[in-house]
Amino acid sequence: MSPSTQAMQKDDSQNPAMLWVQDGEALWNRAVGKSEKSCAGCHGAAPAAMRGVAARYPAYDAAAQRPVNLAGRINLCRTRHQQAEPLAAESQELLGIEAYVAFQSRGLPIVVATDPALAPLRERGRKFYQQRIGQLDLACAQCHDDNAGKRLGGSVIPQAHPTGYPIYRLEWQGMGSLQRRLRNCLTGVRAESFPFGAQELVELELYLFARAAGMLIETPAVRP
Amino acid sequence: MGPGSSAFAQAPPPPLPYVVADDGIPEPLTGAPGDAVRGRAIVANRQAGLCLLCHSGPIPEERFQGTLAPDLGGAGSRWSAAQLRLRLVDGRQLNPTTIMPSYYRVQGLVRVGAAWQARTLLTAQQIEDVVAYLLTLRAPRQ
Amino acid sequence: MARTLINLPQAPRRGELIEIRALIQHPMETGYRPGADGKVLPRDIVRRFSCRFNDGAASELVISADLFPAIAANPYLAFHMVATGSGMLTFTWEGDNGFTQTETVALKVA
Repeated sequence: MSPSTQAMQKDDSQNPAMLWVQDGEALWNRAVGKSEKSCAGCHGAAPAAMRGVAARYPAYDAAAQRPVNLAGRINLCRTRHQQAEPLAAESQELLGIEAYVAFQSRGLPIVVATDPALAPLRERGRKFYQQRIGQLDLACAQCHDDNAGKRLGGSVIPQAHPTGYPIYRLEWQGMGSLQRRLRNCLTGVRAESFPFGAQELVELELYLFARAAGMLIETPAVRP
Repeated sequence: MGPGSSAFAQAPPPPLPYVVADDGIPEPLTGAPGDAVRGRAIVANRQAGLCLLCHSGPIPEERFQGTLAPDLGGAGSRWSAAQLRLRLVDGRQLNPTTIMPSYYRVQGLVRVGAAWQARTLLTAQQIEDVVAYLLTLRAPRQ
Repeated sequence: MARTLINLPQAPRRGELIEIRALIQHPMETGYRPGADGKVLPRDIVRRFSCRFNDGAASELVISADLFPAIAANPYLAFHMVATGSGMLTFTWEGDNGFTQTETVALKVA
């Protein structure tokens, strides 16, 4: 990351992602759905209640029998507890709440969830990370492990650490989730992408978070 | 063409057969000779050849060239036409772990997007054009 | 209402040169980009930004700027002024489709 992008991220009055954090705070406190409950109505104030949550996600949801990332958890909460419609993937509302929740873990190290149900899913994520895919026949690992730091066209290849999501990406001129970023790469190697929320993407997220264990959450991050 | 069909949607012909000898493909893939001018355009085009995403090369009008792979400058002094042809067609026959895509192979790929299924990255003629261009890239005499 | 981030120093000394930063949530759609349906998205940009300072006696223009399609989404503007005294800073953004937003922030000198 260039010094100017880092400076933009570090200064909350320059970081445009803080606009979404503000949105998320308002949504956290807004009653929705048939329950007429807000997030705060159950959880209380987010700075205490949500501290560290983003640093240990994705988690296994026993009732749904699948792994869920933070956005998936927010939508499960909406349907189960607020009796509200789930928010659309990549909607400004969902990105706002997700950013606000993850922001409460800023500066905390990523910890690998020990839930045994997650281990085989994380392993599937690792295998997918190393699987060559698409017309270009490239695996995530070939760029992000073996060639990180070199330039693909004009862009420095990053090490693929999911420390800052949702991120404000200058190329997007807006906010986006880790799954949006993963789908970008899938299309880049000309592979058939997965829909938002697909379990394959959550498994890949599980592996990426384990791979980044100990790194500090920096949501909301700014990326080129 | 009727409604719902287009040239894009039609299944392309399968790749032509070729014969590998030593570390190259001695015979051209097509009867028509390669055109170095067309080849240069393919190399420079980030949607067609994609070459400059990883390689740099003597194409000064194209900014933001990659650093993942060797400079294409001098490629014509380092390699013969046969060697260049195999490295483009399916370099993984020589180095299974290379990040260079196989530009003329449709077998053995996983989860190829619908728009690219059964399609080679370049056509046989485009391969010949790129080979012709790369052969013009001579290293300066010492 | 669009979200804004406005930052100014707390309790600067009278006469101090201070930096003021203002960021607003806005797509800054250029008018040149095709949308998902292939049709060009109509232009939607902030066209003018201004900041006025009112010390209770008079209102004075601190800065005004014209914005153009090449400016990024969520435009961020930083500028300097001399903190001559306490008063109110009024920030105004105006743009296409009748967009207008005003934010007022107190400046208190030590």
